[in-house]
Amino acid sequence: MTGFVVRRLLLLPLVGLGVTALIFLLLQFLTPAMRASLYIHDPKQLNALPDLIRKYHLDQPVYVQYWDWVVQVAHGDLGWSETAREPVATAIRGYFPATFELSMYAFACILTLGIWFGTQAAVHKDQILDHVSRFTSISGASLPTFVWALLLLMIFYGHFGWFPPGRLSLNADLFVRSGAFRPYTGLMTVDALLNGQWWLFWDAVRHLILPVATLTYFQTAVLVRITRSSMLETLRTDYVRTARAKGLAEHAVIDRHARRNALIPVITLASLLFVGLLSGVAITETIFTYPGIGQWGLNASQQLDIPAVTGFALIFAGLLVIGNLCADVMYAVIDPRIRLQ
Amino acid sequence: MSAVQARPVPLPAAFKPKSGETGWQRTLRRFQSSPSSVVGVLLVLFFVAIALLAPFLAHPADRNPYVMPHSGYASDPRPPGPGHPFGTTEEQFDIYYGVIWGARTAFLVGLSVVATAVVIALVLGSVSGFYGGAADEAVMRVTDVFLAFPGFILAVVIVAVLGQSVRNAVFAIAAVEWPTYTRLLRGEFLRVRDMEYVQAARALGSGDIRVILRHVIPNTIYPMLILASLNMGGIVITFAALSFFGLGAPPGYADWGQLVSLSHNWIAGTAGDPFTYWFTLIIPAAAISLFVLGWNLLGDAFRDIFDPRLQGSR
Amino acid sequence: MLRTGWAARVTAVVLAAALAMAAGTAARGAGAPVKNPDSFVELQFGDITSLDPACAYDIYSTEPIWPNVYETLIMYRGSSLDAFEPMLSMRVPTLGNGGISQDGLTYSFPIRSGVRFHDGSEMTADDVVYSMRRFLLQDQAGGPAWLLLSPLLGVDGTRDDKGAIQVKWADVARAVSASGNTVVFRLKKPFAPFLTIIAAWSEVMPRKWATEHGDWDGQPGTWQKFNNPKTEDRYAFNHMDGTGPFMFQSWDPQAKEVVLVRNDHYWQKPAALARVIIRSVPELTTRRLQLQQGDADLIVASLNQQAQLRGIPGTIMQDNLPQIALQTLQFNYNINTEANPDAGSGKLDGAGIPSDFFNDIHVRRAFAYAFDYSANLSGAYAGKGVLPHGPIPQGLLGYDASVPVYQTNKDRAIAEFKEAFGGRVWSTGFKFTVPFTAGNTARQVGAQILIDSVTALNPKFQIGSRPVPASALNSLLFAHKGTMYFLGWFADYPDPHDFAQPFLAADGYFPVRGGYHNPEAERLIDQAVSTPDPAKRRAIYKQISMIAYNDLPYLFLVQPVTYYTIRSWVHGWYYNAIFPGQYFYPLYKQ
Repeated sequence: MTGFVVRRLLLLPLVGLGVTALIFLLLQFLTPAMRASLYIHDPKQLNALPDLIRKYHLDQPVYVQYWDWVVQVAHGDLGWSETAREPVATAIRGYFPATFELSMYAFACILTLGIWFGTQAAVHKDQILDHVSRFTSISGASLPTFVWALLLLMIFYGHFGWFPPGRLSLNADLFVRSGAFRPYTGLMTVDALLNGQWWLFWDAVRHLILPVATLTYFQTAVLVRITRSSMLETLRTDYVRTARAKGLAEHAVIDRHARRNALIPVITLASLLFVGLLSGVAITETIFTYPGIGQWGLNASQQLDIPAVTGFALIFAGLLVIGNLCADVMYAVIDPRIRLQ
Repeated sequence: MSAVQARPVPLPAAFKPKSGETGWQRTLRRFQSSPSSVVGVLLVLFFVAIALLAPFLAHPADRNPYVMPHSGYASDPRPPGPGHPFGTTEEQFDIYYGVIWGARTAFLVGLSVVATAVVIALVLGSVSGFYGGAADEAVMRVTDVFLAFPGFILAVVIVAVLGQSVRNAVFAIAAVEWPTYTRLLRGEFLRVRDMEYVQAARALGSGDIRVILRHVIPNTIYPMLILASLNMGGIVITFAALSFFGLGAPPGYADWGQLVSLSHNWIAGTAGDPFTYWFTLIIPAAAISLFVLGWNLLGDAFRDIFDPRLQGSR
Repeated sequence: MLRTGWAARVTAVVLAAALAMAAGTAARGAGAPVKNPDSFVELQFGDITSLDPACAYDIYSTEPIWPNVYETLIMYRGSSLDAFEPMLSMRVPTLGNGGISQDGLTYSFPIRSGVRFHDGSEMTADDVVYSMRRFLLQDQAGGPAWLLLSPLLGVDGTRDDKGAIQVKWADVARAVSASGNTVVFRLKKPFAPFLTIIAAWSEVMPRKWATEHGDWDGQPGTWQKFNNPKTEDRYAFNHMDGTGPFMFQSWDPQAKEVVLVRNDHYWQKPAALARVIIRSVPELTTRRLQLQQGDADLIVASLNQQAQLRGIPGTIMQDNLPQIALQTLQFNYNINTEANPDAGSGKLDGAGIPSDFFNDIHVRRAFAYAFDYSANLSGAYAGKGVLPHGPIPQGLLGYDASVPVYQTNKDRAIAEFKEAFGGRVWSTGFKFTVPFTAGNTARQVGAQILIDSVTALNPKFQIGSRPVPASALNSLLFAHKGTMYFLGWFADYPDPHDFAQPFLAADGYFPVRGGYHNPEAERLIDQAVSTPDPAKRRAIYKQISMIAYNDLPYLFLVQPVTYYTIRSWVHGWYYNAIFPGQYFYPLYKQ
């Protein structure tokens, strides 16, 4: 097992190099003037382009720029993000907790709702609940995230004014940045409770509801179907038949025998789901103006802020490799029939 | 990846072959037995009809039929009324025209991406699955690298670098989707490669290309068909998202994502009535979701019919 | 069987709590009590690039800088653009009081005493000299240093085309120096707008504070190391220490928010507001709803969003605020047709345009007569603005309403096209594409109008348009590949020279891009800027405007106006077109 884990962890730098090399490869299609444009904001600054190209070595061949970047990272410096106006590492450190918090709550909701609905749909196969859950899960996958997010905004913010976009209201934000508040984890809900500020907790929750609802709707659709099919398979197995034959009540059969085994594929999928969440939040965060790493990555990509994009890509590649590793390890741990090779 | 052995499951009644029935009739009957499959087929056919009949349903005003006509330049959207059955967007583009011709755009983009991804997958997947060894390792590492990148961000970076156009957006989405197709095809190649009749053909001296074309590819069609139809919806959604961020179809281009993007600033309506401009969002959104819904249902139906091993999931 | 269990119960509780919270919010209408009476919240939608007054060159960055945290030697009086009052200087230099020498080459500013910086230290003439020399010598690529480098040292930059330093310390020391408590500027040539540039661009920071935090120490030998810094290398990039009515508290680039607090030791009466928050919110809906709720006091929005913001209870719209700006459509006299799809075939064969296409005055005149200016004003700018009469905008000296304009005239357009290139343009036709900044709806509509008006004249005329991101457009312009393009110019300082020079001088920003060249205009511009007499200047600018009319290097489309939506409990607000943003000092809420 340790050999397997170590071998997979060795993949990390390789994947990291591969992903960043891919990005620098794309730079071949950019003129130095386009890259230098990142630093000017008005046509009256156009005359500064040659100066900027010289200053940031943008006219060097792409492989030289890549090598310089690799050397720089090896020294622990991820570079400066012009779109974030701060070092890339600082930006990641600042934005990541917000995304983590959002993903964490969405993840909890998805697991709860997905497993519950999936189980019920399997148990009540072909009845109304099954069809309803099937319909909602399919329709959930049919609407683009941004449309769904806009709809929610239109109704719950535009009309009712209940759940605003952003992470905190203006007053809450000022309080957080004043000396009276101590950030422990970077997660607003947790820190608010640790600081004993209930109103701040509710403020953070209010802002989380719509983005969490958006993320939940889609991924739950996927999870419901997987749970349902896995549950159905399990319910047909021999040992469940035996449990029923022994005279156990139906809900005991489900709770004590079927559910555990049915959840094997679900649980192993969980870490992949979480990583998928982290990488899929870009659109949701942008629509709700939620200051997370997804909207920063998206903004940086649009503006061709290359140091930011490469830093962002590195982080996600790392998360994905670790996430895949966790999934495989959990699989082996839970199901002794699996052998890791 | 499931190691849990599924015991042979009895086919539902509708799927039991009837005597004297051809393959097509059997497939048709399986389709009809499920209401969701029927809905899926109908939806897709509905959009195919709209796409084909577009020039008659909405006369192009310009040399390029994908340019939405606009009456005037006023910035406020106008509600549905005479001349504009679905209303107009910001800058007065006709929503009805955009929805009709947007169907064509959706098919064009979806099919182009699928075609590109399939071509790449055929080349790389066959090399990888058939020959194995170093080539296989190399291809697998490259797919790993592409899959390690959050899909949408990769598409955004590619379009940002290459420039905004429908063609570049197709290329970008294909760059995100090809690893999935390649891995699927590789898996199929691996499976088929070891089958007896393929080994026999090779032993008899058939060239590799011939073997691939005549024996391997026909067997891989069904899984690809399932993947493609389930993927069509996702592709159109990604393209709509790209257009929404100004990276897909150019402004004024008949595309559903464009229409939603144009509605973005008006979703809160006016001071008195928040739903004043509901039509700018709801109508194109309905088009997108019905289209994707149709393809999702169709893909499900294909999977149920062509891959009866997954019967347990019905 | 379904178990209504913990899941349903939790859901019910959560929903009830959410509804309870939501019930507490209601839109605040007129007559509602003032929210946060000593804090002011402004919501805009741009990004701050730097808080260093020597580097910041866009309105979002300059707003907190001037005149709120940093101050200049003299200040505009109220809403006036040409009347000044003393600020950090004791008097406004004039010929009469000897502040300006008779030959117009020396300006003296006696420095006010008893003014303290935000760090508590006292401001001296040495700090002023340091700040000015730093402004000139730091000269970050793309920064505003050229504004003062040009009149003081006669160059546009401290570095030449190859990047080598081209100014000498001796010249700088002579150009800006202190004599006792007076700061003296020595110009190379008489320069009429000098005072107005000083009024907007002479922000003062303490030398000791800067030096203590790693910046240049003001010594002759060391300045070259600090020339053209990277943004992140300066403390002043995200820290501020000035003399203004507000002090810098924080800038959070992730929350996109700058917070300023009142300077209680301000050298004039302290401000009424205790705290100012400027936050960037890209979503219009969010900005609008926060204004509606009273959480924001002032919001900035674009012209095509104005209709949505009218009539919100409890707010006032300050409308039709004239801007010192011009939106133009420019011709490229010498198009780089190599690998340039916008120029089509690169030849006058009906499938493209040759590189000298717009060099022909008949082509330019034809476009000038074909374009529908009023449709552009009403469609692209929602009617908000005026049609310009030449390169000098309304409100500046030298604006002359009698300068003729090109009126839309289909017949004359056709006549001009028929004469262009000896008639070949009309018979062969042409094809090209206009690139415009993606996301800019005004330009998108403008491009559409251009296409519609010109292609209607002859089926062989084909024009397309394509949106490009700003970076790609910059790259195109830089490589001289643009065909026709929309560019706007916003005043750096309120003087006609700031328009005449960039538009018509050979080394002005736009001629360098587009290739326009007229030695007569060049001569007149030089003459106009060196003459102190306003009447003489007015006459020369009239001549310059006529040259622009006859040569037609640009179509002057619109002089735009702007608007702000403000809560009615805000008082003391006034507008000066040269301010980059709001001046928070006179504001109070009740």
